[in-house]
Amino acid sequence: MEPVQSLGGGTVAAAGQAFTRESLIEASNVEKSYGATRVLRGVDFQVRSGEIHALLGGNGAGKSTLVRIVTGLTPRDAGEIRFSSAKTNSIHPIIAVVHQELALLPELSVAENIGIVHARSGFSRSSHRRMRDVALNALDLIDPAIGREIVDLPARKLSLHEGQIVEIARALSTGAEVLLLDEPTANLTAGETAKLFSVLKRLVHDEGIGIVFVSHRMKEIRELCHVCTILRDGITVVNATPVALLSDAEIVQQMGQPAHDVAGRLKSKKEVRQGSPVEFLGPDDARMEIWPGTILGLAGAPAGPTGLINPLVGAGRGAGWHVSGEGFKGSFSSPSQAARAGVGFISGDRTMKGILSQLPIVDNVLAARRVREGRQIVGAAERQECLDLVSALKLKAVSIWDLPASLSGGNQQKLIVARWLGLPLRLVVLEEPTRGVDIGTKHDIYALIRHMADAGAIIVWWSTENIELLELCDAIFAFDTDGRPKGFLSEERFTEDGLAELTGMAA
Amino acid sequence: MTDVTNGNAAAKKIRTTTTRAPGLLLSYRTEAAIAAAIVALMLAVGMFVPAALSMGNMQNIIQAAAPLIIMSLGVFLVVLTGGIDLSVGSVFSLTGMVTALAMANGADGVTASIAGLAVGLVFGSLNGFLVTVVRLAPFVVTLITYAVAGSLAFIVTNGRSMPIGAPDFWLLNSGELIPSVPNHLLFCIILMVVLEYVLRKVVLGRWFYAVGSSAVAARLLGIPVLRIKLAAYVISGLLASFAGLLTVSYILNAEATAGSSLMLQAIAAVVIGGASLFGGTGSAIGAVLGALMITCIQNGVNLIGVNSFWQGSVTGAAILLAVLIDRFSNKNRL
Repeated sequence: MEPVQSLGGGTVAAAGQAFTRESLIEASNVEKSYGATRVLRGVDFQVRSGEIHALLGGNGAGKSTLVRIVTGLTPRDAGEIRFSSAKTNSIHPIIAVVHQELALLPELSVAENIGIVHARSGFSRSSHRRMRDVALNALDLIDPAIGREIVDLPARKLSLHEGQIVEIARALSTGAEVLLLDEPTANLTAGETAKLFSVLKRLVHDEGIGIVFVSHRMKEIRELCHVCTILRDGITVVNATPVALLSDAEIVQQMGQPAHDVAGRLKSKKEVRQGSPVEFLGPDDARMEIWPGTILGLAGAPAGPTGLINPLVGAGRGAGWHVSGEGFKGSFSSPSQAARAGVGFISGDRTMKGILSQLPIVDNVLAARRVREGRQIVGAAERQECLDLVSALKLKAVSIWDLPASLSGGNQQKLIVARWLGLPLRLVVLEEPTRGVDIGTKHDIYALIRHMADAGAIIVWWSTENIELLELCDAIFAFDTDGRPKGFLSEERFTEDGLAELTGMAA
Repeated sequence: MTDVTNGNAAAKKIRTTTTRAPGLLLSYRTEAAIAAAIVALMLAVGMFVPAALSMGNMQNIIQAAAPLIIMSLGVFLVVLTGGIDLSVGSVFSLTGMVTALAMANGADGVTASIAGLAVGLVFGSLNGFLVTVVRLAPFVVTLITYAVAGSLAFIVTNGRSMPIGAPDFWLLNSGELIPSVPNHLLFCIILMVVLEYVLRKVVLGRWFYAVGSSAVAARLLGIPVLRIKLAAYVISGLLASFAGLLTVSYILNAEATAGSSLMLQAIAAVVIGGASLFGGTGSAIGAVLGALMITCIQNGVNLIGVNSFWQGSVTGAAILLAVLIDRFSNKNRL
C-alpha cells in the first residue's frame, strides 16, 4: 500500500481507503517546562484515522515529553489537546502506547494478559472463557492464525514479535483508536519487522485506526509512514507533512541541530600517531586498527555497538569481538580486569549503571580514581581534587557533600565524565555521553573527550546522534539494523547521508 | 565559580561549590536525633522511676545492650551492601553452645573461644558464598542458615543448657582490661569507632556504600562488589559469634534459645539507626544507637512496671517513628 498524497490541505489518503480521515487527536501549542528547562515550546501535533504518522526528532527534541502529555502521564503547562472519538459517548482511553520494553505479565497467559484489563473491578469474578474470547477477538483483528497458537501460552514464552502483537491486541481490545509505537522495531529481526509492518498496515486500512510511529530508521519511515511530524528543540518544525515530499537529507536536516561550525575543529591531526595501535577483531572478519589518540565512533542499531562495547569493558557477553594489542588480550571477563588494563567506561544508563545514588558528589567523582590508583585512605587532598574537577567541568553543585540527586540530569552526566578526567587511560568507552544534556554542556563534554584523546587514549564512542559522531570522530564504524558490522564510513561519504545510508537509520 | 546558563534569564543565581565538609552535627543529624530521643526516653522513665537514672541502671543497660550492639554492627554492614542477615540470632545461640561444650570437654578458654568464633566464621562464609558465588537471594540464604544454625544449637547438647565454669581467658571472663571500664563496654566502643572510621575515612568503607547504592554501577567502576558483599556476611557472622561469647561469659550458662529474639532486634536497631533496607545508607554509630534505643525501651518498660509483653509494641512504635522521621526529613533521597 503506497501512500498517495492529495494536493488539498496536506491530507494523505491511501489507495482504496475505506475510512474517512477524521482527526483523532489534535494538540496545539503545547508547552512544558521542567524547572528552567523549556522542553516543549509550542508543539502542534495531529493524528488522523487511517494514517501512520511518524514522530521524529533528535534526542532532547521533546518527543517523549509530547507522548507523555498526549497519553496523560504528564500534565501540560499550556496549550490544548482535543480528542475526538469515532465512537460517540465512549469513555475508554482512545490512545494506547506500545512501549519498547513490553509491559506484559510474564507468568500469566496471553488470554489473561489481554482480558485482565476488562475486569470491572478487582473483585469481579474471573471467567477464563470470557477472557479467552475477548483475547481471541482482539488477536483475530491482527492475525487469526497467531491468535489460536499463542492464546494459552504464558507471556514469557512469546517471542518479542508475538509479545508486541499481544500488546497491540490488548490496546485494540480496549477500543483504542490511536496506537502509539515507541521504537517498536528496536529489538526485532528483519523478518519480524516485516510481519509487524504488514499487521500495522492492515490495521490502518481495515480498522481505520491511527498509528503514531516513533523510530530512527529512515528506511522504515519511508516504507511504513504516510506523514511525519518533526520536533526540534521543543518546536514542531515539520507538521504532518507527507513523507514522500521530503528527501532523507531534508528530514535529517530538520531533525539536526543547526550548529555545524564545530565540524573539523575538534578533529585531531591525523598524522600524529603515538604508541602502537590496538586491533578490534569482530564477527564476519570485521577488523579495525585503532591508534592511540583516535576517537572512534560507533553507529547503528544498539545490538551492534553493545556487542563490541561489552567485551571491551568486561560488562558481559559480546558478539564475538575481541581486542588485541599491547597490554590488551582477548576480551575482559570483568570490569575490574578492564579497569586494571586502563579502560574507562561511561555507561549509557546513567541512573542504574553510573551514579552511586547514596554517596555524596565527592565520592562519586573520586570513585574511578580510587579504584585505579588503589587508594586506601579518604584523604583531605581529595577534596581539592574534586573541587578542581567540578570547576573544570562547570558542574553546578551547591556542595560536593550533597547527594547526586540534587543535580540536574546534565550535571549528573558531567559528574560521570569527571570521574575519568586526568586519569592515565588507554581506552575510554562512552555510551551516549551527551544524552539529555543541553547544547552548551554537550560542547563542554566534546572538548573533554577530545582532551582525553589528545592525552593518548583511544576513545570508543557510541552515539545514536549521527551528527555528533560526524562532528567529533576521527573514524566511524557502522553496524546495520541487525547489529552486524558494516564497515568504516569512507572519507568521501563522511556526511549524514552517507552514515544514514550505511546504517539504514535516520538519526 | 559563577554559573551562567543559556539565553534569556537575566537574573542569575551565583552559586559557589563548597568543599567544606558539613559539621559533625549536620553529618550525624540522624544519629544526634536518636541520641536525643534516647535521652528524652530515659528522662521520661526517670520521672516515674527515679532509679532509672541511677549509675547502677546505666550499667545494667550497657550490659544488656552490648551483645545487641555488636550484632547490630554486623547486620548493619550487610544491610549497607543491600543484603540482609537473618542468621545472626541462631549463630549467637550456637556459638554459646559450642563454647560451653568445648569447655565441658576440657578445652581451655582460648580454644573454646576459637571454637565459638569458628561458628560465626563458618556460617558467615556460607552466607557470603551462597549470596555472591551461587547468587541466591540474601533473604533465602540467611533464612536457611538461620534454621540450620538454630537447630544445631539444640542438637549439640540435645537441647540441654550448659553451664560453663569461670574461664581463665580474658575474652571470656567478664573482667576489666582497662580498670573501671567493663570489657563489654570497651568492645562496643572499639568496634563502633573502628567501623565508623573505616566506613568514612577508608576507601574500602566507601565501597560498602557504593555497593549498596548501585551494585551495577559499582561493578562497572571496577569495585570488587562480590568480595565486599562476602566480607560483610563474614564480619556479620563473626560479630554475632563474638556477641554470643560475651553473653555466655557473663551469664556463665549457654542456652539454645539465647539468641532467638535477637535477630529481629538487630534488624530493628539497624533500621532505627537510619539505615535503609535497600542499602547504601546509615552509619555504624546509628546502628549502635538503635540497639541502645531498643534496650532502653525494654529497660523502661520493665522499670515502670508495665507488663513486659508490651515491649514489642513499644519497640514497633519506635521503629515506625524512626522511619517516619527519616521519610520526611530526607527529601533529597529518591
